[in-house]
This record gives sequence, C-alpha cells and structure tokens, in this order.
Amino acid sequence: MRGPLASLTADDRARLRRRMRTPVLTFLALLSLLAVNVTLGATLPFAHVWALEIAVVGVMVALILLVSMEVRKEPPLIRLFSGLGFFWVCIMVGMTLTDYLAR
Amino acid sequence: MSESFVNEPLADGVGVARAHHFESVAQQREAATLGIWAWLITELLLFSALFLVALITRIQHPEATVAAARHLKFWIGATNTVVLICSSLTMSMAIEFSRMGWQRAMVRAMLATAALGALFLVLKGYEYYADWSEHMMPFLADRPFELAETPAARLFVNLYYVATVLHAVHLFTGIALLLGMTWMAAKAGFLSRHQNWIEVYGLYWHFIDLVWILAFPILYVVNRAT
Repeated sequence: MRGPLASLTADDRARLRRRMRTPVLTFLALLSLLAVNVTLGATLPFAHVWALEIAVVGVMVALILLVSMEVRKEPPLIRLFSGLGFFWVCIMVGMTLTDYLAR
Repeated sequence: MSESFVNEPLADGVGVARAHHFESVAQQREAATLGIWAWLITELLLFSALFLVALITRIQHPEATVAAARHLKFWIGATNTVVLICSSLTMSMAIEFSRMGWQRAMVRAMLATAALGALFLVLKGYEYYADWSEHMMPFLADRPFELAETPAARLFVNLYYVATVLHAVHLFTGIALLLGMTWMAAKAGFLSRHQNWIEVYGLYWHFIDLVWILAFPILYVVNRAT
C-alpha cells in the first residue's frame, strides 16, 4: 500500500493535484450554490423566490450528474440511459403540474 | 466508466479481472456502469413521485403546507446538505485514488465517506427527536399533532417522513455496503481485479447525495415562503 500524503515525489504531487482538481472545484461550486439557496430560504427577499431556488437546484443536480457522476465522460449508451431517466421525470412532473396549475 | 472515456489512464497494476462471459474488460466495465444506472433510474422515479406529491400538496394546500414546513428544522437540513456534499467529495477522492492505485488513501477516503454518512443519520435522528418533542409526528396515536386544526398539514408532514425515512434507509444501506466494500478493498490485489467496483459504488453514493439535494429545497426551502 502507498502512504496517503507522506513522502510523495514531485511527480506524485502533480498527479494528485491534477486528479483532485475537478472533485474539489465541484465541491466548492456545490457549497456556493447551497449557500445561495440557504440565504434565499432564510431571508425570503422577494415574492416567487421559489423560482430562483428551483433554478439553483437544477444547476446543482446538473453538476452532480455531469461532473461527480461523470455522465459527460460515459459512452453514448450510458449517457442515453441516464438522460432518458431524467426525461421521463420531466414528463411526469411537467404534465402533472400543468394539470394542477391550470385548474 | 469505459477505459476509452477516462481522461487519464489507470495506474499500472490497476484494473478489472475479465469475467469469462465478457469479450473484453471495456465491455465488462460498461455493462457494470449501465447496470447501476438502470437501477438508479428506477430509484429516481420513486423519489421523483414523492417530491411531485409534495409539490402538489403545496399547490393544493398552501397555508397548511407552509405552516407544517415552518416546523421543519431548516438549519439541521442545511447542515446535513453540507455533510452530504462533503461525503460526495470524499467519495470522488476515493474513486480518483483507486484509479491512481493509492490503496491506503482510497480506503481512508471510503471510511471518511461512511463517517460523514453516519453523521448525517445522527443529525437526522436528532431532528426527528426534536419533531417528536414538538408533537410534529401526526402518525403517533398517543401524541396529539401540533397542527391538528389544519388537517392538510398532516398530509405534508406524513409525506416528509416517508421521503426522508426512505432516503435514510438508502443511506444506511449505502453505509453498510461501503463498509463491507472497504473491508474487501483493503486487501492486497483488490485494485488489480475490482477497481471498477469503487466507481460503480460511487455512482450510488452520489445519487443518494443528489436525492437529498432535491429533498432539502422541495421539503424545507420552497415551502418557507407564503
């Protein structure tokens, strides 16, 4: 087994930085977006703030899917599979809410 | 993930032992990833239906839903979201360490992920205890419901428990699986035969995080505004 951080060569450190860059940046982006939503939820600065909150959540979900779950790097069949799942959810949510909101 | 789609190649000595019924390791890896995605999509539809019912409850009974949602522990929910986002980072780190062949670092990152998952459950348990103290468990026959005068609030609170308990069960199962896999992953030779197990499991963990990322705003945040 290799030690986690001790006695790393310069090459190892460079490799570690390269590998960890995306997860750390994603982590910071998710925390920032959560901070926006928590601030909006705690202060309720304007009417219909829910629309902005849902938009922020949409960005967070896209980040997790595309970057953390690496869908953008997957072969086309897996991209199609994961995309179809969310497509069906959009149909279900969209058609149901259309009904309730149009009543 | 198929090796051809990975940005950086796997380290020497890291890979997957091909099972006889696959033509190649790449095909085996892709089949495993496709399999977990097929299951995650069924899970997505299950949770989406619950969240949709929460939105309908809000549309149909706005005052009762807001009254019930204001009893939810907003700051515990927010803290738990931070905890799960941290656990997603440690899981991503475990996956990257596995690709680099740094087995000990990978095992530590997996243990950190399990610990953060356990912290989430502890905070959730405290939140349920606070709800119990405030008489916010309408399904308990011997404990009068705080919002008994607004029957629709009972709908929302019951739905909140179904959704969050279901998520907690997934998380608990995930922690148990993760600890089992960590035990196996600490053995010599694991990364040369089963490296993709870490990636496949990572998809499940990130999905649990994603479900909570949806649950927190839909249950706690958007219902705070009248």
